[in-house]
This record gives sequence, structure tokens and C-alpha cells, in this order.
Amino acid sequence: MMSYTFSLDWFFVTLIFFTGAYCMAVSRNIVKQLIGLEIISKSALIAVISSGALTNNINLAQAVIIVLILVEAVIVATGLALLVKNYRLNGSIDLEKLMSLKG
Amino acid sequence: MIYHSLLYIVIAVSAIMAVMAKKLLNAAIMLAVMSIAVSLLLFNFNAPWAGVFELSVCAGLITVLFISAVSLIKKEDDLLKEGRIKYAILPFLAAVTAILSGIYLMPYFEYLTNYAREAAQNPGVGEIIWTYRSVDLLGQLTLLACAVFVIKAIFAKRRIEE
Amino acid sequence: MISEFLSYSIVPLLSALAIPFLGRKNEKITEILANVTILAGLINIGYILFNPSNHRNQYSTFTQDGFTLLMIFTIYLVAMCVVFFSTRMNDRKIDKNSYYPLIMLSVSAMCSMVMARDFFTLYIFMEALAVTSFALITTDDGRGGIEGALKYFLLTFPASALIIIGLALLMIVSGGFSFEHIQAQIIGAPDFLTFLALSLILLGFLIKSGMVPFHFWTPDAYQGSYSPVSAYLAGIVTKISGVYAIIRLSMFFKLFDDKAYKASEMLLLIGFASIAWGAIAAMRQKDFKRMLAFSSISQLGYILMGAGTFTTLGIIAAIFHLFNHATFKTTLFLNSASLEKNAGTTDMKKLGGMEHNMPVTSWTSIIALFSTAGVPPLSGFWSKIMIIIALWMTGSEFYAAAALIFSIVTLAYFMIMQKKIFFGKANPEFAHVKEVDFTLLSPVLLMSAIIIAAGVFFPYVYDYLANTIATRMVI
Repeated sequence: MMSYTFSLDWFFVTLIFFTGAYCMAVSRNIVKQLIGLEIISKSALIAVISSGALTNNINLAQAVIIVLILVEAVIVATGLALLVKNYRLNGSIDLEKLMSLKG
Repeated sequence: MIYHSLLYIVIAVSAIMAVMAKKLLNAAIMLAVMSIAVSLLLFNFNAPWAGVFELSVCAGLITVLFISAVSLIKKEDDLLKEGRIKYAILPFLAAVTAILSGIYLMPYFEYLTNYAREAAQNPGVGEIIWTYRSVDLLGQLTLLACAVFVIKAIFAKRRIEE
Repeated sequence: MISEFLSYSIVPLLSALAIPFLGRKNEKITEILANVTILAGLINIGYILFNPSNHRNQYSTFTQDGFTLLMIFTIYLVAMCVVFFSTRMNDRKIDKNSYYPLIMLSVSAMCSMVMARDFFTLYIFMEALAVTSFALITTDDGRGGIEGALKYFLLTFPASALIIIGLALLMIVSGGFSFEHIQAQIIGAPDFLTFLALSLILLGFLIKSGMVPFHFWTPDAYQGSYSPVSAYLAGIVTKISGVYAIIRLSMFFKLFDDKAYKASEMLLLIGFASIAWGAIAAMRQKDFKRMLAFSSISQLGYILMGAGTFTTLGIIAAIFHLFNHATFKTTLFLNSASLEKNAGTTDMKKLGGMEHNMPVTSWTSIIALFSTAGVPPLSGFWSKIMIIIALWMTGSEFYAAAALIFSIVTLAYFMIMQKKIFFGKANPEFAHVKEVDFTLLSPVLLMSAIIIAAGVFFPYVYDYLANTIATRMVI
């Protein structure tokens, strides 16, 4: 039954990817950027599990996803640490104020 | 099938609401809702291990991290003076994307189902992780060590120069 | 993963984990441990690489892949120079018990990455490497550094999602991510889906490596970060995290024969744009480090063009240029660090006539910049001429001519830099500035010696490139 949902899966992968990418493209708020990043990585995760279901190798997909979730947690922790440090140094979470160096 | 589609609709709607949320706290909560829906989806895919990890790490840990970071930011900075219009048109743009991908990409996705494989004697998750992909464990170890030292380095106490 | 080389990544990892415990009381122990770990690795890989009997057997007792061997040597070489330099620089502001472990961890991640035989393994170590480089960029709390780090962060992780989707497609088409799987798939049935999957992964790595449409974070990160860190990032980290994978992928695209010409065209175009934009922007810069950052973008373009020909000659030329880039860019960035330490600034307007004050720094800069611009007989000349020949032979005469013209532009902007900083009218404000001491100069002198040696003994280098790398292109 599962392999028949493949095209539905990838339809929603494109939709969710678009939502996250739009958020990262328009927002100036760094927290919003991180949220967009989370949404994008969720769509990549759904792509992996659906490919695993199609090729009947769901266990490999699970092994991959467990690593991906760990990567995601590390990335978010690093991003939030950078954000908090930037807030302490510059007092802002605005991306446009970062553009002081130009070249 | 209906349950499956319903979960997808929950994921998509909560993603759009997380992007459109006015307060950062609400955005973090919508992200948690999305994570819970994704983990239910993983259970429905018959992938319980991945589902458990998603539920505990993404819906739990990452939400806590987000909320604690947001709470450090002062209220007046919470909402930047950004134009609301670019967020208000998001549902419309998402609908356009959905229609376009339904028309143009769906046939290609249908074509990809030709690559479906027969169920083979696949090894279990534990066997894959410990035997076939054991190098990835070194990668995870490196990644965790990196995370510890990165947090330590970013929040290191500086010596004040006399 | 090549298991016989696993120690090159495990030893730095263990050293990084040990440093906070051993060096808590005395930071001297931290420095000694870091230097000894890297030096031991460098001697070890150097012994393997330069032992004549290994060379005669074409390294067949060690590995199937000479590319990995050369990259491990380059990683340890640059790391040694940077670690030794920062030890002698002895900046009291930085937190040594988190700075040295981060360098060790990134050495470990890079070595694992070049040893990976599987795209997913490569991806994990690349993320670990990216995470460490953010912390390294923000080492000395500069405002510019954190800007560069945030821009890098927000650009590099959407690219990761593209790579993951490409991996998902690879899983559909070949059922796994390992290089052998993909190679067998391409040789057996080179269909469009494999091409699409590899192209998505290629696009992700192009974004990560800071090519021209996505280059905005590079100058900020290099200019704003702690000086030895900029040498480390520009010399090796960003090259391994992006360009290494692109060269690896181009070896797979080569198997498609003529079917991959669109990917080739895209790579050549992006390479040309990087060369042109980097060179033109470098001419306008006022700051030495920022100019070097743009020059780095421009040199990346050459590597990309070489790899983008998808021919054996082009790929080995790209590999050799990657090695050369590590040597000359490390020299130049370490020289800028020496300038910053003793003169207090890297602003090209203020500096002048430093040649009398810092003669060794001046002359090593000249060697490195001549190698960058491709003046014979230095090593950079040979890699550039190989890239240009490869471009000409595949019928891309326009790009070959452009590569030639922009290497003259490279010479021009470096001569302007050299004239402003080292020659020309001396600024009395800097009359008291002395040359840095010999221990700080030794990494730069070592790199200059390697640049000259690799150029003069080019037949031996070519022998290695042709016999050990080119004949076993994939696997």
C-alpha cells in the first residue's frame, strides 16, 4: 500500500520545501530564518523516508534519518548559540544590520 | 491513505502558520506541532525508530532550545518592523506552488514509481547501523564532540586584557 | 572508509577530547599536545608519501586512491603550519582550551571526509566540519567574524537539504549511497534520474564552496576572523568542505561521457564567473585580508573549470591546483597575520615600504603571489597550464583564453598589493616595525620551499598525478 503514496509524498515535499525557502528568502529576522531552515530539513527528511518506502528498504532510510535528526539538533544548537552571541555583541536579531561590511 | 493525507495537510498548514506567526514563541510552538505530525507520519511509514527519535529530539529538545533562545531576546526586539504583506501572501503563493507542482511535477513523480523494488530480505535497523553503516557512528561521535566544543567556544569566558 | 588510514582521523579526535582535561591547569600542555598530534600525523603521512619503495609500487600496498593520500597530506601540512603559528603567536585573548580542540576536531572531520567511500558518510563529516568552522570564525569575538559566520550558516544549511534530496533520489535509483553502487549504476544504465540526483548534490556543494552567486559570506568570514584561522579556513577548510566533493563528483560525471555536457557547461560558466568577479573585486579592495579572500574566490574558479572539463587531465590539474592553492594561500594569509601582529593593521592605504622592515615576509609573499599568478617555474604555473590545456582540448577555447587573461589580471592586482604594502614610500609611522621572529617565519618558509620544490621537480609530481591518481580515477 505504501509505495502508492510516493507521488503524494513528493508533492508535499515540494510544497513544504517551498514554504521554508520562502521564509528564508523574505525574512530579516534570524530566528525566522532558523525556523525556515527547520522546515526545509523536515521536507528533506520526508523525501528520504518516502524513497525508502518505494524501494522497500525502510530500514536503511531509518538508519539515515536517525543520523539526520542528530545533525539537525546539532545545527540548531549551533545556530541558536551564534544568534545569542550576536544578540549580545550587536544587540539585534536583524539580518539587515549585519550588512555593515561591504565589498 | 486518508490518515496519511491528513497528516500531510497538518504538516503543511503548521509549516505555513509557523512562517506567518507574529510572535516568535508561537512560531516555535507551530514548529513543535509540525514535528509531532512528522513523527506520526514516520510511524505510519512503519518506521518506529525514526519516529521515536523525531518525537524526542525534534519535538522535544529542539523546541526547548528554540523557546529558551527566544526568551533571552527582549520583547521590543521580538517583532522586527517588517512588512506583513510578504507573510500574508504566503498561503496564496503556497496554493499556486501546489497547483503548479500538481500539474508539472506529478507526472514525473508518477514515473518515478517505476523504480519501485520488490521486498527483499533486508537486514534490521540495528544490523544496518552496527554492521553496514558503522562508520556513521564515528561520524555521530565526531558531530557530538564538535557540538560540545562549539558551544564551549562560543560562550567561552574571555580574559580581560590588563 | 579506508580503514588503514582511520588513525589519521581518530588520533586528532582523541587528542581533542583529552585537551580540556590535561590542559586545564597549564595551557602549555594544550599547545604541546596539539603540536605533537599534528606533527606526528604529518611525519607519518609524509613517510608514506615520500618513501621511494611506496612510490615504486605506486602505493598499491596502502590504498586504491592517491587523491585521498594527497589530501590527507595537504590537510596535515596546513594544520601544522597554522597550529605552530598560533602557538608562537601566543595571543592571550583567545581561549586555548577550546581553540585547539576545535582545530583538532576539524582535522579529524576533514580526514574522515576525504576517506569516505559513501556520499552519506561524506555528508555527515562535512556537517561536523561546517559546525566547527563557525566556532573558529568567531574565535576572537570580532564583529566581522560573527557576521561572516551567520551568513555562512544561513547559506550552507539550505544547501545541505538539496544534498539530502539528491541522496534520496540516489537511494531510489541505486539502493545505496556508496561510490561503488553509483559507479556500477552509471556504467550499467546511465539514465536521467542518476544524472539529476548527482546534479542536485553538485548544486549543494557549489553553494557550500562559495562560488560566485553564493560568495557573500567568504570575504566577511576571512576578514573578520582571527588571523591564523583565516589562513586555516582559506587554505584548507572551505576547500575540503566544498571543492573536494565537486572534484569527486566530476569523476562520476566523467563516466557519463557526452551525456553530461550540460553539467559541464554549468560548471565552466560558474567557474568563469568566479574567476572574473573575484579578480575584478580583488582589484578594488583596500584591505590585504579582504583582497586575499576575493583572490581565493578567483582561484576556486580555476579549480572548478579544471574539474568541469570532465577529462582526466582536467581533473588531475584541478587536484594539483587544490594542493597549490593550499600552499600559496596559507603563505599569504600567514604573512597578513604577521603584518597584523607587528604593524597592527592590514590596511593597504596606511602601510608602505615594509620591505626594509620585514624582508622575509615580503619575499615569501612574492613567491606565493607569483605562484598564484602562474609565473614559471613555480608550482602554480604548472597547474594553471594544465587547466588551460584541458580546456583547450575539450573545445572550450573561450574559457581557455579567459583563464589565461585573468591570470594576468591576478598578477596585476598582486603587484599593486606588493607595491602598496612592501615597496614604495615608507610610512614613518611604521619605521619602528621589526620582522617577526624566526619561529613565526618558519611555517611560511616551509610553504615557500614546497611551492618552489613542487614547481622545479614537477616531473615527479606529474608522475604521481598521472600514475597514482589518474589511472585509478574512481573507487
